[in-house]
Amino acid sequence: MDCKTYKSVLKLDKGTACTAWNYCGQRLAAGTVDGTLAVFDSTDPASSSFRCSSRVKVHKAGILKVVWVPPEYGDAVACIFYDGGFSICEEAGEDSHSVQWKLCEFFNRGSSKVLDIQFGVSPTSLKMVSTYSDGYIQVYELSNPLELKNWQLQAEFQNVIDSISTFRKASCLSASISWNPMRGGQELSFIMGFNSDTPQLNSSKVWEFDGAHQRWLPVAELALPEERGDRVYSAAWAPNIGRPYELIAVATERGIAIWHIGLNPDLDGRLPMERVALLSGHEGEVWQMEWDMSGMTLATTGSDGVVRFWQSNSNGVWQGQATFVHTS
Amino acid sequence: MPETAPAGGEVVPMSSGHGQPLAPRLSICWSRGNSLRVSLFSLASFEDEAGGEVVEVKLCDGGDGEISNAQWRTIAYDSVSPFAMLQNRRNSMSSFSNINPSPYHLECWEYMMDYSKDINVLLGNKKSSVDSLIEDPDIFLKKTEEPTCLKAAWELMEMFYVNKLSQAWLPERIVDWLADYDRLFAALHGTVHMKVMNFQNVHNDIEVYEDDLRYWDVIESALAVGWLEIVVKMLRRHGSYQLDQLSNRETENGLVEAVALLISKMPRMRSELEPGRLGECYKAKPDFIKAWDKWRGQITKLDSCAFWIQCHHGQTREGLKKLLQILLGNTNSLLAATTNWLELCVSHLIYIRPFTVGLESMYNLAQNCIQLKPMSSPHKLMNIIIGILGENTEVVLAECSKEFGPWMVAHAIELLTVGSNEAESLLHEERYNLGEISLEELHRLAYAQVLSSHALTWQIAPVYLSSCMKHGMGLLEILLYKQPVQLKELLLKNLEICRLYDLDDCSSNIMKMAGVYHWKHGRKGSGIYWLQQARDEFRLNKIAQQLFASVGKSISDESFKQWEGLIGLLDSESNAAGGFEFLHKYRDFKRSLQQIGDGKNDIAAQKAIDSLMLLMRNTSTPQRFWLPLLNDSLKLLNWQHRPLLSVSNTNLLLNKLQELSSARLHPGFVKPDLPAEALNSVRLALATNLGRAILEE
Repeated sequence: MDCKTYKSVLKLDKGTACTAWNYCGQRLAAGTVDGTLAVFDSTDPASSSFRCSSRVKVHKAGILKVVWVPPEYGDAVACIFYDGGFSICEEAGEDSHSVQWKLCEFFNRGSSKVLDIQFGVSPTSLKMVSTYSDGYIQVYELSNPLELKNWQLQAEFQNVIDSISTFRKASCLSASISWNPMRGGQELSFIMGFNSDTPQLNSSKVWEFDGAHQRWLPVAELALPEERGDRVYSAAWAPNIGRPYELIAVATERGIAIWHIGLNPDLDGRLPMERVALLSGHEGEVWQMEWDMSGMTLATTGSDGVVRFWQSNSNGVWQGQATFVHTS
Repeated sequence: MPETAPAGGEVVPMSSGHGQPLAPRLSICWSRGNSLRVSLFSLASFEDEAGGEVVEVKLCDGGDGEISNAQWRTIAYDSVSPFAMLQNRRNSMSSFSNINPSPYHLECWEYMMDYSKDINVLLGNKKSSVDSLIEDPDIFLKKTEEPTCLKAAWELMEMFYVNKLSQAWLPERIVDWLADYDRLFAALHGTVHMKVMNFQNVHNDIEVYEDDLRYWDVIESALAVGWLEIVVKMLRRHGSYQLDQLSNRETENGLVEAVALLISKMPRMRSELEPGRLGECYKAKPDFIKAWDKWRGQITKLDSCAFWIQCHHGQTREGLKKLLQILLGNTNSLLAATTNWLELCVSHLIYIRPFTVGLESMYNLAQNCIQLKPMSSPHKLMNIIIGILGENTEVVLAECSKEFGPWMVAHAIELLTVGSNEAESLLHEERYNLGEISLEELHRLAYAQVLSSHALTWQIAPVYLSSCMKHGMGLLEILLYKQPVQLKELLLKNLEICRLYDLDDCSSNIMKMAGVYHWKHGRKGSGIYWLQQARDEFRLNKIAQQLFASVGKSISDESFKQWEGLIGLLDSESNAAGGFEFLHKYRDFKRSLQQIGDGKNDIAAQKAIDSLMLLMRNTSTPQRFWLPLLNDSLKLLNWQHRPLLSVSNTNLLLNKLQELSSARLHPGFVKPDLPAEALNSVRLALATNLGRAILEE
């Protein structure tokens, strides 16, 4: 089935390299190759017309990726730049007339480039995971919920199950982080996979915060034993509105794997898991995977320029549901 | 290929797979519900004017566009109350059935029927196409509004699944259904309706009806599917009725009239016949059989009577004989007179098997008819009929989903489960693969998601989500989190839904989001208000600290005015943040300090010093404010008329100063932004005051 119903929502500035919609789909942040952050707004939720409310040059290098900060922390985005650094920009003002987008904080980790950033919300704090081209993961915590300036580095580690080994000369092309999207009391966790020349780093691992010892622990590795070195192009954790297991999609060169992850760890502290599907359809790499709000439909896209929709039928068999190819 | 990093950093060629991977040409993001926004970048041609665009893609909802989006929204709104009512009645029923464990109670049928009828009504008015107009003899079929397949499908399900009380009359109900919806099949295949319409369009050009083969052909077809009114009306257009012909063609006319009369007296087993409809109604089978046998006897008698020889008009004789064959249930005549298997099936129900009631026998009949009149691409309604007759709930569900979309499935599931254990277990069994929900819940969730995708319908999604026992509230929370918080009406609506469904955490998170939004966007008052509503002590304390900091930095009158309003908002009763108590007291102190004026108002000065003492005694006053407060009060400490502080109060303040001096040695000490001599000035003033106070006391 092809998706035939579509309509144009807005025109992007020329040189736009990345976009991100905020939590309610009313604002679009778009980054351009000359380092400009443009924000498009719809004032009325019932209307689908958008206008550009702000254009700010935030950095000298181009913007590679934009990620929204969770709404409990204001209207803010993280921008990843082509030069390897990233910054946090926020819309704020002392009074309603002086509201504007401004830079809060710039991060640069020297020679290693940041590859991906994602934010996780716990009841008391905002955490930010950043991954770098040298295979390292950093977890930051925001110390003041009203100020996006002060970030404390909480942990730094590599994406390996065995914490003793470190890989100093890793070279990573891309990385994908996806937080467990559910709010609430449970411990924070995220999934992380690399596309690198170091097989041990690549496979997707679920990292969970061990509050008692204030550390991050790998609790699951989402790869069959013979596929652990596969480069991971994308990973996406589905919202769980009540399933007795978590649902995670991981894209490698073999296709898109759908995993069921148990909610309770076994005696080794590992989560039980099962790969329930390996979907193929995209030609080339899968760049992005997004679960819908119920976690019932997975939308994917990649180097073939096709958007595919995947769903499980009533017998639990995952299959392609629809495709969308834009023809201008 | 252009380079993508024009300034700073290394140059990353877009065309190469080395180093950085290619920037994506597409980016996707789910909007609310089931619509996906796709950003299409045209990076490869940076020199071009176009910068790409964002499009919104909707996963196909099913349906072939026979119903517009606006109509769907109306249907969605109107079906909320029947659905909610059904759920309520069912819930109260299930608590009742704990005592009386009979789920298929008569009452259950009744409220299912009410539900089905309510939904049926909102799908449009019944447009019966066989209503003959007595007034206009030229019109056999009324030109009515096109009926919808949606309504036709709903009526089918109502007929087979819900309306069990009139199961004995099912064949006649199917006859009526086809009369109403036969025209829907016209697009794919020929229909009797089409034949009648075509004849109606040309009949004025026909001089002598009975000479025209089309006339007899249309009558046969209409008779085969039981449209008696049309048949009789057309028969009476026979030339022999004309006054000038009557005497010559007496026998012929007698035969035509005899057939017309027999047709209009045809026994029909049904609960009622609307006024104007022909036939004789029999509710009970024995009565019907008796009448039927008698009627058939009359037909046989007419068929074999001698008058046919005296009828000299060949076409009339042939035509009437064919009609009699149809009335006698001659299979070949029925086959010839109908255009598709469904019509053939209906003709069999009328003339051959009027007592067919069980689904199995109907299914067999349908299969026979399909073999006799096969078709390459069956109509969607036919697929549903086959699914129903084959008792294949999955097929019915799949067809409903494919052809009519999530609204139909979510609402029709209610009908499918009535009185069928198989359907019940199929639709209500919880499946691990679906996340331990049933198919029924799955389809309700899917429909709620479709509702969520539109700003005008998301507000009715909670009704459906609340009927989903396992995942409904989880999805509702996500839906609520995805509503914008900056618009007040929307926020209040959102919070009202939270309250209705006891989603307290969700509600406070939403208020927190609103609070932060307003705080950050310069509406600090609203910000504090919503954070207080959210009972977000953590953020409120941070705000209090921020205010302390600004107090500590500058206590000029201008800055005081700026945050005085904010402090007024911080109602000390509604939150336990100690910091606000300090800010309230500080405001009172500053006010009284301002009222001193020229330094001669003793009463105001005493009031100010009381406020100062309240502040200094209060444990919630941060230590870093002690010195600025005392520095502010120098005028009071050096009051000319009389010492304002008692000995004990002066000692208390001196002790505080002492405490402050030892605190300076701690690493975390915050040095106030005051002139270096401030401490000495305060100390001196206090010492002087102490001396004066001792003398006075």
